[in-house]
Amino acid sequence: MRVLAPNGEEKTLMALNIGPSHGATHGCLRYMTALDGENIVASVGEIGYLHRGFEKMAERGTWQQVIPFTDRLNYCSAMMNNFAYCHAVEQMLGIDLPERAKVLRVIVNELSRIADHFICVAAAAQDLGSTTGFFYMFDSREMIMVIWEKLTGARLTNSYGRIGGLYRDTYEGFENDVLAVCKQVGKNLHDLHACFDRNRIFLDRTVGIGVMPAKRAIEWGWTGPCLRACGVASDVRKDEPYYDYETYDWNVVTGTKGDVYDRLMVRLAEAEESVKIVQQALKRLQPGPVSVDDPRIRVPSHESAYQDMEALAGRFKTVFEGIRVPAGEYYSGSEVANGELGFTLVSDGSGKPWRVKVRPPCFTQFAAFHELVEGSLLADSIACLSSINIIAGELDR
Amino acid sequence: MSSDCENQVKEPVVATAEARRAFESSAFACLEKEFGAVRSDKDSWGLTAVIAADKLRDSVLFLKNDPQFQMDMLVDIAGVDYLGFEDYAGPRFAVLYMFKSVYLPAHRLSLKVFVSEADLKVPTISDIYPIANWQEREVFDQFGVIFVGHPDLRRILNHVEFVGNPLRKDYPAHRRQWLSTNDYMLPVLEARLEAKGYKILSRSKEILPNEEEYLTGSIKK
Repeated sequence: MRVLAPNGEEKTLMALNIGPSHGATHGCLRYMTALDGENIVASVGEIGYLHRGFEKMAERGTWQQVIPFTDRLNYCSAMMNNFAYCHAVEQMLGIDLPERAKVLRVIVNELSRIADHFICVAAAAQDLGSTTGFFYMFDSREMIMVIWEKLTGARLTNSYGRIGGLYRDTYEGFENDVLAVCKQVGKNLHDLHACFDRNRIFLDRTVGIGVMPAKRAIEWGWTGPCLRACGVASDVRKDEPYYDYETYDWNVVTGTKGDVYDRLMVRLAEAEESVKIVQQALKRLQPGPVSVDDPRIRVPSHESAYQDMEALAGRFKTVFEGIRVPAGEYYSGSEVANGELGFTLVSDGSGKPWRVKVRPPCFTQFAAFHELVEGSLLADSIACLSSINIIAGELDR
Repeated sequence: MSSDCENQVKEPVVATAEARRAFESSAFACLEKEFGAVRSDKDSWGLTAVIAADKLRDSVLFLKNDPQFQMDMLVDIAGVDYLGFEDYAGPRFAVLYMFKSVYLPAHRLSLKVFVSEADLKVPTISDIYPIANWQEREVFDQFGVIFVGHPDLRRILNHVEFVGNPLRKDYPAHRRQWLSTNDYMLPVLEARLEAKGYKILSRSKEILPNEEEYLTGSIKK
């Protein structure tokens, strides 16, 4: 198209479509750019290619039946979404979890965070042309996946969280597996830093690319590692602690400039902090129940249902009628790998949710994507896209 | 919020229950006095202030700019349809705005605006918080609420050809719709260029696959 630039120059721009099915769009999202040579003059994004109507489906079942759907939001760290949803409902119910359930949720949360951050950095490395970096990261991620298989029976969509606790207790040898992962994560991080820290190609592609100032990031509603890369130490785990996160010894990692390099490196440093939390949590892990003992909230076990009349009735009632959450409206945010995952829940006091609204962290990050890429090269837009870690499952719901 | 925010270092401050209560009572007192807000009877877990649609923009600006509150982040906008809600008499729709303060973590509140089915209009806040642009588009898409003054009110999650508003309670979940075409994004791109000060002199022609000269074979037919 022929355009008249603001400086009075007449130019020919090329409109270039990227996505929805492009190898670097991580799922399916689409953006269109107006190119002046290789420079992006303007960019507009479009989402919705993976819209499956999560919120409509959630209104049709009971409160517990939403949990498997939450797996499909951010499928790189499915269990964190389970726990974020369960946490929101538990706050409405006003129940406190048993100690073991809390510690196990912290361990699973932090291992999921490591896996999610590693996928993000691995995919970014792959998009920038480094397959070596990709496989360093997938090494310990695979070990985490094997733990998930043993713990929940599934690799990707685990549905391990339950309202009021967990699906089941851990297996024998869980602690040793987790300790082995912690060791391997340290080794992989060491290798990765050796691969990237003084790598001229990596630095040229990432440093100073896609800079987002902190003030602008807050206006765009950025949360999580992307906001922390801009230098704002905002973390829901520290600011509004849940699952006793305030009692663990760990630090909030921040960047300085808010460019692609900072966003990737903040994720790697956060993986180190997560290892610290996991190691402390393992020391606290004591035998005990993993769910609340209340037949109105958590389905009683088979053993008690066969022996006990109340447990049998509770089993029927929680499955058929659902949990009775007090009527009202509540927004609850939890820190997942990508930022603040929020659930706005509206309850009418029956066993089914009236409305479940998800606040996906990457929705706000992709909404500001044009500000990152306008003025940079087309190739840099790929680096920007992988650094904000778009997961189309939660972006489009 | 101060303008030197870019260099402001955020120290981790833990939101205590007392700080939250103090914020909620002072924020609600201000909203009640200045904008006639009413506390929602359904907010047992955190402050939700019901506000009239014409007071929305003023109260949002006040919450954002007041140094005492500093609600600098719009976390989410959620639409709710109350059709068939038990013991409910009131406007059919509501729009919930969730705010938080990044630097003062105890500060979180929601504003609620009721929207009647006959009117369906709420003023936009997309010029105050840029992220509201997409979030309002989503509420428009799913519920059909019209945000007056929104620069680009289009569908966002559903397809351009989609008919109806899927999250309304009277939209059947099993309805199927046949959607044929891809979204045509050139007009949006041109609008973005014009917003940046470019003037479009001549538009590029959309070339359909069967018009491409170098293509042969079945696609040509």
